[in-house]
Amino acid sequence: MNRPLKGLFAVIFMLAVCSLTYGSVFDFSQLEKSVVEKTLQNGLKIIVLPRHDVPVVSMITWADVGGSDDPKGYSGIAHMFEHMAFKGTDEIGTTDPAKEVLLMAKEDAIFEQLRIERLKGAKADKKKLERLEKDFDKAIADAYALVVPNDFANKLENEGAEGLNAFTSKDQTAYMVSLPSNKFELWMALESERFLRPRLREMYREREVVAEERRMTVENRPMSRLLEEFLSTAFKAHPYGIPLIGHASDIQNYSRKAAKEFFNKYYGPNSLTLAIVGDVKPEKVFELAEKYWGRIPSKYKPERIATVEPTQICERRVVMPDKAQPIMLMGWHIPGETDKDMPALSALSAILGDGRTSRLYRRMVRDEKAAVSVSAFSGWPGSKYPCLAVVFCYPAQGRSNDECDKIILEEIEKIKNELVTPEELERVKTKTMTAIIAGLKNNMGLAQNLAQYNQIWGDWRALFGELDRINAVTCEDIQRVAKKYFIKTGRTLAVLETAQEEEK
Amino acid sequence: MMKFNHKVFFIALISLFLSGNVIFGIDLNSLEFPALNKIELPNIKKIQLDNGMRIYLLEDKTLPLIEASARIHGGSYLEPADKIGLGDLMGDLMRDGGTQKWAPDELDEMLEGLGASLNSYADVISSGVDLMMLSTKKELSVELLAEVIRRPRYNEARFEQAMIAYKSGISRRNDNDASIAGREFGKMIYGSDSPYARYAEYKTLGAISRNDLIDFHKKVCRPEHVQLAVWGDFDSAEMLALIKKYFGDWKKGTEKIADFPKVDYKFDQRVGLVKRLDSKQSNVYLGHIGGSTLDPENSHRIVMNNILGVGFGSRLFNEVRSKHGLCYSVYGFYSANISYPGKFFCYVGTKGESTIKAINLIRSEIERMKTEEATAEELKSAKDRYLNSFVFNFESKGQIIQRMVYYDFFGLPKDFLNKQKEEVEATTAADVKAAAQKYLKPEALRVVVVGNPESFDAPLETLNNGAITEIDVTIPQ
Repeated sequence: MNRPLKGLFAVIFMLAVCSLTYGSVFDFSQLEKSVVEKTLQNGLKIIVLPRHDVPVVSMITWADVGGSDDPKGYSGIAHMFEHMAFKGTDEIGTTDPAKEVLLMAKEDAIFEQLRIERLKGAKADKKKLERLEKDFDKAIADAYALVVPNDFANKLENEGAEGLNAFTSKDQTAYMVSLPSNKFELWMALESERFLRPRLREMYREREVVAEERRMTVENRPMSRLLEEFLSTAFKAHPYGIPLIGHASDIQNYSRKAAKEFFNKYYGPNSLTLAIVGDVKPEKVFELAEKYWGRIPSKYKPERIATVEPTQICERRVVMPDKAQPIMLMGWHIPGETDKDMPALSALSAILGDGRTSRLYRRMVRDEKAAVSVSAFSGWPGSKYPCLAVVFCYPAQGRSNDECDKIILEEIEKIKNELVTPEELERVKTKTMTAIIAGLKNNMGLAQNLAQYNQIWGDWRALFGELDRINAVTCEDIQRVAKKYFIKTGRTLAVLETAQEEEK
Repeated sequence: MMKFNHKVFFIALISLFLSGNVIFGIDLNSLEFPALNKIELPNIKKIQLDNGMRIYLLEDKTLPLIEASARIHGGSYLEPADKIGLGDLMGDLMRDGGTQKWAPDELDEMLEGLGASLNSYADVISSGVDLMMLSTKKELSVELLAEVIRRPRYNEARFEQAMIAYKSGISRRNDNDASIAGREFGKMIYGSDSPYARYAEYKTLGAISRNDLIDFHKKVCRPEHVQLAVWGDFDSAEMLALIKKYFGDWKKGTEKIADFPKVDYKFDQRVGLVKRLDSKQSNVYLGHIGGSTLDPENSHRIVMNNILGVGFGSRLFNEVRSKHGLCYSVYGFYSANISYPGKFFCYVGTKGESTIKAINLIRSEIERMKTEEATAEELKSAKDRYLNSFVFNFESKGQIIQRMVYYDFFGLPKDFLNKQKEEVEATTAADVKAAAQKYLKPEALRVVVVGNPESFDAPLETLNNGAITEIDVTIPQ
């Protein structure tokens, strides 16, 4: 009987404290008011935050498409397209646009034959394969002769672009760059052009680049190898379980046609958002957006993924023998970002494993010296769809995954059985607030946040709402979500166990 | 720049028929860029306290934050050869081990309770402390800096904890091929005993006691070694008064610390191989010793780096990645420091089957820098990339003030960066070629390959690059 009252008191008390700090420290509402947005007729959304202290501007093109949207047999193609988006446009990146079309068609035709022959496996005609491979190499070389290498990137970098890059995640693909603000229109022109008329030149060489990226970032790194095994075990149905960079065999099977189809389906203007932070005038931005981005015809917006990960009915374990030192990670299924339980889950993860005052750090690293590093996080590997709350742990030298596993589970049980302290929760709230303030320092970071919240919540204002949501969390909420989601049958555990070469 | 305007127009007409929408092409030639708004250089106040400590203050009220960064002269190069790891431990534990006033747990709780961050470190040549917190706690932020810099506690339990972390780090250091390659290449250039490339071992860590940390701290952390930069939401007078309150009574040291050790380098050819039979990709570094930021051709080398191996438009990127599809990551540049010579090096990560091919491509690109002048277009692009992005040197207040600290330490003129810019502007293709001829030595490369030699496209001998030595990376117990 006493509980709810106490809880209520705690909430009121903390809200009062937080709003006091919040109000006196920084007025987010002013900042919120200076953000302006506009949606073009074709559905493209533009979010602008003008800041004039330095004559630079950061831009991000945020596409509501990610690795989860890869079609079957084409794992990693969202990421492959991200690479291809740097290859230029119909006109930029070639010495002869018309001839290039013909040479690319030839590459495609030979590759299609080669692809089909390769898929015959043992029954493939070796001689034919050999001949096709030779022809293919020649066709690639012929087409490459017309390429102006990295022309698109050079046009930006020569004008002073900084941080020209892109990333693909499970939920989104983002293209970013910062420029001296007087060059802003150049970006508008080039960026709109590449999403209006991308030309997927050098497709087949770039596959090799991606294959190398896979070797570098996955196959040669023990933690990444373990992560792939972990995710494919935790997700049986939902595409969060499929490797973001693609299976090695799928990469070799990509055709230009498949990449173009992917683009046509997922890169319509209503799947794109531009977030722009820096020394620009919103009216001018909107005028240029109309001029350049208004050229792109509207498309239907692809629906969300229908597959829902079924309830996990038994614990799943992966044991990976490897010559590296032990690593472990575990995860439980939780809902997507916008679910009402997410703020409490985030707070729970923070109390468990974020920073030096977190419970797992104190017990495992500081006191029992079982681990050298432990961290917990909610909302992985994506957050648009139901995802995972995870704990990562690197055992200390001579200590085992098993010992660490046992302690982590004990600490989670404690949270289920006893309320976390108000001080612990308060720390999470303050940390969230300062992290948001510190995040305002950097134009690109802010642009990224505005775009991401806009995608996941449908409104960038959700970024500033983050604080209210976390401030509303109570100690009871944390206990409730711990009991609801951190259940034995819903857990997936992956461990890397050190083994001698011959055991593998 | 662009020659396809007519075609664009033609395509626009076609699309008009096809879609009923007017889609006009872009005409980059017609774009006119307005003049860039003037960069307002912030006014940094520089003060020296009587004890020799140098203070740099920069007011910036845009956000309710205070940030600070203390650069402390002296780092791991000063540690004795049988106690490698001492510098790093001292650096980490300045903050992690608590202070006289605050036990480590209290410090952790207080900082996280304020959402503040406070970190200390030591690198090879210097140590430091960085802080960020809400500006509602001005005095506390200065007191924290003073406590961590002047009065670290070096708590026994935290020392033990750090030792476990360091030893675990050694046990894991061969888990990643890329880091093995970087480490072994550094040793190959500076020598495995060099303070610039040596690594802690179980034995050297075992020789370190808590008292060593205290002594090392005393040696390094002295007011005349400290340059404290503070920027953010405060009034300078008030901030200076606080700094005087917490640092004013600190006594100057007497003993002079050692200079940066010289590097003794003889150009020669070598290949070092780290055999990793289950590697999926070879990690390769190749290069030789680099130079000083104060070399007269430093600006020419910046342009040379851009042409050779920095950025999307560089030759290495075009050749090894785009044209041949041999790698995801490839780059190369001639690096320069002031304290000790940098390195010239190129990196590539490529599948075993293209290891030799990639190395040869890189070598011929290095060679080509010396034999061929850059084309006008290459030169322009390399210079433009530097010049047009120059404004980003002033993007954040932290960057500006920390650069000033660095220049000040090494006695560089205030306008060093602007001078460099003028020199880059004036650089010619002949300058670049001359710099390459003077500084690049493709005939004297040292190469480290981490990978599975059974998978290589040709034996390492075919590189014809001097003796091949297998490097044993077994961790000494």
